[in-house]
Amino acid sequence: MDNVDGTEHYNLKVTSELPTLQVIILDTNPLAWDSLNRTSNLSFPAALSQLLIFANAHLAFSQSNRAAVIANHIDGAYFLSPAPPGTDTSDPDEASLTPEQQRDIAQSNASKYRGFRLLEDEVRATYRRLIRATDPKAVAESANASYLSGALGLALTYINRVCFGGSGGRSNGIPGEERGKVNAAGGQVDDTGRTMHAKILVVSVTPDPAMQYITVMNCIFAAQRLKVPIDVCKLRDSTVFLQQAADATGGVYIEPEAPQGLLQYLMMGFLPDHTARQSLILPTKVDVDFRAACFCHKKVLDIGFVCSICLSIFCEPPDNAVCSTCDTKLDVSSLANIGKPVVALPKKKKKKRALDSLSESNTPSAADSPVPIP
Amino acid sequence: MAATAQSMRGFEHLEGLPEAVFKRLYQQPATALAIFRRMLPNLGKTFVMAMLFNPDPIPISSLEAWVHPNKNSLKEEAFAKLRQLHLVTERQGTFALDPTFKVELKKALTGGGPPGCFGLPCDTDDKKKVDVSFLDKYATEQWESILHFMVGNEVPSSRRPSEGVVRLLLHGKLMEKARSSQETIITQLGFSFLLQEVNSQVWTLLLLYLDMAEQLRMDPVDILHFLFLLGSLELGQDYDMKSLTPTQKGMLEDLRDYGIVYQRKSSSRRFYPTRLATALTSEVRALSSPATTMRNAISQSDENGFLIVETNYRMYAYTNSPLQIAVLNLFARLISRFPNLVTARITRESIRLAINKGITAEQIIDYMTANAHPQLRKNTPILPPTVVDQIRLWQIEGERMKATHGYLFKEFTSNSEFNAVCKYANDIGVLVWADKPKMMLFVSKHEQIADYIRKRVQSNK
Repeated sequence: MDNVDGTEHYNLKVTSELPTLQVIILDTNPLAWDSLNRTSNLSFPAALSQLLIFANAHLAFSQSNRAAVIANHIDGAYFLSPAPPGTDTSDPDEASLTPEQQRDIAQSNASKYRGFRLLEDEVRATYRRLIRATDPKAVAESANASYLSGALGLALTYINRVCFGGSGGRSNGIPGEERGKVNAAGGQVDDTGRTMHAKILVVSVTPDPAMQYITVMNCIFAAQRLKVPIDVCKLRDSTVFLQQAADATGGVYIEPEAPQGLLQYLMMGFLPDHTARQSLILPTKVDVDFRAACFCHKKVLDIGFVCSICLSIFCEPPDNAVCSTCDTKLDVSSLANIGKPVVALPKKKKKKRALDSLSESNTPSAADSPVPIP
Repeated sequence: MAATAQSMRGFEHLEGLPEAVFKRLYQQPATALAIFRRMLPNLGKTFVMAMLFNPDPIPISSLEAWVHPNKNSLKEEAFAKLRQLHLVTERQGTFALDPTFKVELKKALTGGGPPGCFGLPCDTDDKKKVDVSFLDKYATEQWESILHFMVGNEVPSSRRPSEGVVRLLLHGKLMEKARSSQETIITQLGFSFLLQEVNSQVWTLLLLYLDMAEQLRMDPVDILHFLFLLGSLELGQDYDMKSLTPTQKGMLEDLRDYGIVYQRKSSSRRFYPTRLATALTSEVRALSSPATTMRNAISQSDENGFLIVETNYRMYAYTNSPLQIAVLNLFARLISRFPNLVTARITRESIRLAINKGITAEQIIDYMTANAHPQLRKNTPILPPTVVDQIRLWQIEGERMKATHGYLFKEFTSNSEFNAVCKYANDIGVLVWADKPKMMLFVSKHEQIADYIRKRVQSNK
């Protein structure tokens, strides 16, 4: 009779898979792409097409999956899709098309799945607008410019809005805080209050923007708190920041050996979503470069100076011995000797100080502690 | 989540199709995409995507190395599904995607399919264009009229379902002809149909349609192609019939009767998919929103729910809709009726009667939750737990024994062989029972086990 037990009827739990939001941050610095094209034969249009196929594949996983594309441009970060409300998403070249060409476009549109087509058209059209609005002179002056921190910030704020029910309530909430099972939008949520999982893919061709070290690190920690993995596909110039981003957030880090085959890297390495990643062994970088950039000159350092109060990093003792971050007066007197050869130490001073400290510390202890009598 | 189970039923039905049918199904990008999206487990999708743009077959060992060793059962489940749907061919320890499926899914992703493979929008504007709210209203009316007809309500002759619908209901044994008169009455199957969620109802009817169409010598592959295509269309957009096959054109007329597509005239060459159509291939969660919309639309007079359930098993339903009263009557004893209120009581008898009709406790609970009055919704959980538990207990009173169809494997030659097969069966999740001393095991599906044993024997030689 023990077998006739009804309790299992209550324990039937549906393990639900939440949909995923994929945010793609794409470098759009024309000069950087050009030099990549020359070295490894991957042009920007080819890469964009492959990325769009990747986005489509992501959308194909589930009808509720969503995708966003952010351009990391030379002078700022811009949403390519979803385009900011109020922007004209029609193709700027469309007005010049003949009726025949327009019909051809309509025909080819009919052979695409609606969700895929909308994303693709939007990305391509806003990208064209972005490039048109860019001053060629500015491009020439900024071969390595990148707005990584801005793009990451946009991505994270967008994720916060979409994945946490549009309430924006995460700002005063603590991650992991138990919420109701249904959020304001009526969607299903998991125990951390999110309606969707999210992941960020950074496709990067520019070197580290060292000037943005602090802001980038702050974005990385924000992503860590939101449990959003930052995946990195580094096509050119190995970077310190992005390695750390992937490492800290549990994302995938790949530097493709053959950038022409970008699509296959994307499909195998970056496509698996939250659920699949729990059961897969993903490629990550083992020897992560943990070097930091200094706060004063934004140089990437092996060894530097650290403020004892706020842990700010400096490549040399700050001016007037005042920390530029927390305004603490630092005692830099003992730093004077660092870096100098040992023989060059002022012997006399050292001896005296050593003697002083010895006598200072010895006198009271000699008085207090019992001395064994011989 | 009985609703989940039922809406999945549509796809389980497809799993039983022969290989040749699958090969033909994969010839359309829309179908390849829908099958990819709805029928594969998450890990299976990941494997397919990893293989999709890879020109060479992938060694199984490398896929296995990709998965965490402690997630073996998920991996085996994914492999089993891929084999079952004939999506992969195995050769010398490598996996290759079915070539047709590979090509068509690629077309779906890159947009390289023939024009119209995701529906051909009309190139001219409709003079009498209809909007989304009209389509919703149309779909609701059509669908509701079928439901009303089933419970035997008086419906105006203009809204009586067509002959085709009646034939379908009779064919599916949702209704039957009464012996004494010419009237059609609802069957037990029909009752349990009524309690389903709209999307599962649609799938149930469409599968019946498929079944009937096969008898009428219509090509099932053609029909499935069209159903999957409908699922990928855009709500509120008009489509051209030009790209449809003759079978599919014939289907349009029937689907119009169900409210799945809208055509102004049968001679019109354009058609609009309704919400019932576009929700066809969406998965359960996405579907909950259109389904809720539909449910709200169906119970327009009381869109916030009308049902109050008390801990003493009394029910108060603020409704005068004959459909809703008829549904309530399925699982509760009606006590009195007022112009806008029906009182009823849930009893052991009434629940047992419902269960004998093939309605499950979960269906009843889901229905009551979905239609709960705003006043009741303020509570968490919405329904009184005592009532919910009691309904479940009444159901399992009758479930003292459970039969599982399956296959018995016995007379293993050695203990190690038995253990290996046992472990494999457990990994792929088909093991029902095993007896170690007697070396017998009972599984729900045998094909893969047989394959596995054969392979073992071969490798041992």
